[in-house]
Amino acid sequence: MSDIIFIGLSLSSILLLVALGLSITYGAMGVINMAHGELVMIGAYTAVLAGIHLGLNLFFALPLAFVTSGLLGLLIERVLIRRLYGRIIDTLLATWGVAIVLQQLVRLEFGLSFFGIHVEGLGSGLQNMAVPAFLTQPVDIAGFTLQPYRSFIIVVTLLLTGLTWWLMYRTPMGAQVRAIMRNPQIAAACGIDVRRVSALTFAYGSGLAGVAGVLLAGFKTVMPEMGASVVVDGFLVVVVGGVGSLLGTVLAAGILGQINGVVALLSNDIIARAVVFAVVIGLILWRPRGLFSFKSR
Amino acid sequence: MTVQETSTNSGAVRRFERAADWAIYALFIAIVLGLPLVVDDVFWLNRIAKYLVFGMLGIAIALSWGYAGILNLGQGLFFGLGAYMTAMSLKLMSATSLQQGSDKPVPDFMLWNAEPGAVTDLCCINKGSFLWIPFQAQWFGLAMAIVVPLIVAFILSSSIFRLRVSGVYVAIITLALVLLVRLLIIDAQPITNGFNGLTDLGWLTISGFEFDPYMVETYYVVAGSLSVVLLLGRWLVSTRAGLILQSTRDDPTRARYLGYDVAAYQIFFFTISAGIAGFAGLLYVVAAEFASPSFMDIGFSISMVVWAAVGGRNSLIGACIGAILINTVEATASETEIFKEAWKLIIGGVFIFVVLYMPNGLAGIARDLVARIQRKRVDEGTQTATAAANRRQA
Repeated sequence: MSDIIFIGLSLSSILLLVALGLSITYGAMGVINMAHGELVMIGAYTAVLAGIHLGLNLFFALPLAFVTSGLLGLLIERVLIRRLYGRIIDTLLATWGVAIVLQQLVRLEFGLSFFGIHVEGLGSGLQNMAVPAFLTQPVDIAGFTLQPYRSFIIVVTLLLTGLTWWLMYRTPMGAQVRAIMRNPQIAAACGIDVRRVSALTFAYGSGLAGVAGVLLAGFKTVMPEMGASVVVDGFLVVVVGGVGSLLGTVLAAGILGQINGVVALLSNDIIARAVVFAVVIGLILWRPRGLFSFKSR
Repeated sequence: MTVQETSTNSGAVRRFERAADWAIYALFIAIVLGLPLVVDDVFWLNRIAKYLVFGMLGIAIALSWGYAGILNLGQGLFFGLGAYMTAMSLKLMSATSLQQGSDKPVPDFMLWNAEPGAVTDLCCINKGSFLWIPFQAQWFGLAMAIVVPLIVAFILSSSIFRLRVSGVYVAIITLALVLLVRLLIIDAQPITNGFNGLTDLGWLTISGFEFDPYMVETYYVVAGSLSVVLLLGRWLVSTRAGLILQSTRDDPTRARYLGYDVAAYQIFFFTISAGIAGFAGLLYVVAAEFASPSFMDIGFSISMVVWAAVGGRNSLIGACIGAILINTVEATASETEIFKEAWKLIIGGVFIFVVLYMPNGLAGIARDLVARIQRKRVDEGTQTATAAANRRQA
């Protein structure tokens, strides 16, 4: 029994990890960022490159990926998203373009492959990130086998969720973000620098994607297409949870992850994912605004 | 300028615009149907036939996104359903299905995985194989290719629009649904051949004539179908129902307040759009000879939206041309390996550019051009008239 819960918990934490960044960029800012998966992918590649070229392990890669993806997110916001606030469908389409560009940039090694230069760790091939040994040895605690890497992911996810909650609900910056979520015009009239706060929020959400990428790299193959599959799951979690509700996102990730884990055990992985999609469709039809939502705009 | 003059002018403008519109449609259809006269390489005709099918998908997207304001990110679902229904029939007509040691056709992949000693008849090779029985008749598969998408779309859109779900949520539901069905098809390996899809198909046969995909006649079937769908779509959006639909897109609350059943119009056009996509799936299988779960990849469904956006989401023919154009350029670019990769980079950039600076796509540019020419013409006309009036006064 505890095994099943642990598997579900581990699936939930991965969903939450990806969805956490989206709950900021989509939930708080109304931007459907299809390039979020690519920011995850960039985070994973940062870990791979840091391992190969700088000899840094997972723990150093985490902050590095946060900064890399965060800066990239900041750039995307400044150049593109800034012009698209309030046009939600257009953000989806434009960031889809960004996603393709980012994927191709990695695949083409930032254009270097045209000149016959190969950077180890980039390109269209598959990459792996080495996980420190002490995180790969299963530990037996009172008859229960603990997967340390999965547990590590759960702990980091919890810490990041806590951090995000603290930032959003206990700091002046978070108060400004929440004010903008409710009504950007009034927020601006109250003296909040909407553009600056929006840019920083987007960068933070993107940074979280980078961290998610590093953790994913520990058990998934790193490749240019890896982001495309995670981003949809992330969106479903955020939408089911309720736009702009951190609690909703956490809960939705928990529910969907557990459903996935249990059904996968009863039948197979494919059916489990199909059931998750069916549940999501049902939940959105039943509550389009999500499990938790507040009235806004 | 008096009121009288203004109204005649705007009448003239509208007449001119309508004439230009029809001229573009006529020109497009003439080019599409006349292409075999110029291109005699059947290999290229087959390729272009596939892109014309994508053009039809462009029309389906423009109808639901441009005219109804419903972004369907799961159009691949209907395309895929249409493709699978057609492919099931054509699979049973394939030579390999007739050579499986049974007097009735049996898909080869079913026997590869069959239990030893299983009966080689569609009724009971495995649990789901009986579903294939009606597909022995080709017309059944062809009909289902349109009927099944219509039914699925009707049920889906009824629940979505009666519950007044709108905007982004529709996009997410359709997205989740296409992924769901894709997984079900992959999982139902014994009857769908899973990841591998249905390959090695027979040819579409109508009253004894076999439509070899690499034949001019097959091209004409696709091109003719596209022309008919395009004209029907054009007619549909200009009817009263089409106009009301556009009002529901611009302001659903007001349309509802004026007494229109907004959901009914949305359901109708969503379903029609799905039917067109299903028909496109049918034609694609006829031209490309396979059906695969990749038709239901998210990337493919979003690509369709990209084509329509580049061509012009508010114009049926614009979206259609956008789809054909992008795919043709892509095919040409893919001839060389380096350019193939670079092309993807370019298309991503083009797409960002279109969203930022050309919200109405190529069709928007064409429309502006027509409007500019017409304004010039009207201005000149007015000037001559004024000059004549002045002379008379003098």
